[in-house]
Amino acid sequence: MIGDANPHKDRIAFASAATTGFRRDHGEVTPASLALDACTAAIRDAGVSAAEINGLVGANAPYIQSALGIPHLTYWNGPGIPFVSAIANAMNAVATGAADVVLAYHSLYRNPMFSRAAAQDPFRAATFGIGGLGAGMGSDGFGPDSISGAVGYTAWASRYLHEYHAERETFGYIAINDRSNAARNPAAVLRDPITMDDYLAARMIRWPLCLLDMDVPVDGADAFIITTTERARDLALPPVLIHACTQGMIAQNEEDQTPSLRDHGQHVVVESLRKKSDLWIDDVDVYFPYDGFSFITVSWIENSGWCGLGEARSFIEDQWDHDSNRILINGRIPVNPHGGGLSEGGTQGSGHTREAIHQLQGRAGERQVDGATTALITAGGFFFNAQGCVLRADR
Amino acid sequence: MNDAELVERYRGVTLDHTNKHFYRALLDRELRLQRCADCGWWHHRPKPICPQCWSKQVVATPVSGRGTIHLAIFLHQGPPADGVDYAAGPHPVVTVELEEQAGLRFTSTIVGASNDQIVIGAPVELAWIERDGRPFPAFMLTGAQ
Repeated sequence: MIGDANPHKDRIAFASAATTGFRRDHGEVTPASLALDACTAAIRDAGVSAAEINGLVGANAPYIQSALGIPHLTYWNGPGIPFVSAIANAMNAVATGAADVVLAYHSLYRNPMFSRAAAQDPFRAATFGIGGLGAGMGSDGFGPDSISGAVGYTAWASRYLHEYHAERETFGYIAINDRSNAARNPAAVLRDPITMDDYLAARMIRWPLCLLDMDVPVDGADAFIITTTERARDLALPPVLIHACTQGMIAQNEEDQTPSLRDHGQHVVVESLRKKSDLWIDDVDVYFPYDGFSFITVSWIENSGWCGLGEARSFIEDQWDHDSNRILINGRIPVNPHGGGLSEGGTQGSGHTREAIHQLQGRAGERQVDGATTALITAGGFFFNAQGCVLRADR
Repeated sequence: MNDAELVERYRGVTLDHTNKHFYRALLDRELRLQRCADCGWWHHRPKPICPQCWSKQVVATPVSGRGTIHLAIFLHQGPPADGVDYAAGPHPVVTVELEEQAGLRFTSTIVGASNDQIVIGAPVELAWIERDGRPFPAFMLTGAQ
């Protein structure tokens, strides 16, 4: 059952959002040092004191509390990913009174499993608790002959191409759009424009997805202050209201048992948000579909109703702004204007959330959408991590 | 083979009291998936109750291994595995919809076919290979040898 209750609509808000920016190599850093850099910035930006924070949402909360010298916590939790689960967690904590002011943070640290450069850093292997490349894979005994985990998206991408007689160029447009957007974002790791020829020539990793279909491993972190809307109005920056927030999962959530391209976690998110939210795509000024893989973005665009199923390519081509070489829906709505996971960095949704907040606060620099008041985030994939959030400006 | 010997035989694989029947059957070159003895519903991966009727009478039951390719990918790189050589060409992985029940699927590699023959919709059947000194269930195109 998917309910329509949303008693805390607009009553809980982001007071700030801050980032370290994302790099392939931030130097002699740790996941916690990156998180702390983002946290101190978010706390200062909001104009709260450490003593006012009594909730933490993120990894390794005891260490973070100790490092920041936060005197008292009444709530802490390490949520799953992507980052909308952290938003839901912080929102629930404030709604119930478990915490009054929550500091939520998300840190990215290049994993030696996925980054050859990171594999040269002996401290990284220790951080991830692995012995080196290849170790720890295949605990079901099937090794590469499985579509569990990230590979599941590649597998369903093959189904998409088959069912809709689509071509890889559909995915290529997502990569190009993200890269064009990242050129305007100083926090982004990949800022050189790419063409469809570049996309089609990129190294194949798991057909049908190539290197440019996959989010980029980075070092960096984002952090956020979440509190009641009432309290946020007294702080330093314009509040950004959580209008609706949901997660979505279906019973057959194993990657190879998922019923179809038309029945998975994304559909739960869309139905739930449409029931809880007064605002939907006709109201949206800036859109943030998840892009851990380009195919996930294509699916969100279709499943959210921006176009019909299997119509993403013609939709994107219709909405393509040739001057800026990116998607501008109705000539004005950008899609992942910060560059997304494919070009800003693989932030698992924290970058999308931070950019949505900055857009609604009017703090997005040269990426600013004029008068942006409503943002839609559709995060995660199909199986066990689909999520969505509608954010609005306080006006 | 008792449980201790089974765990030893599958060193590195996460076995438990729910999935041990699946893995034990593989050693006999049998693909057994969970089936409810009360309502007949098949499921995979192994769970201790029937997701359809909550009966605890779920039995690891042989499947034919026949079905059609539902998802098909080709790994140009990937985790190391016994007998898998990415340098020799992209390694195919297929999810097969089994004939026993709509939506019941099993994923493995496919052998004895060139990659351009491995397409969604193609009929397949079970083919046993060896990996890490154990029988390993794979697929082959129907009619292939």
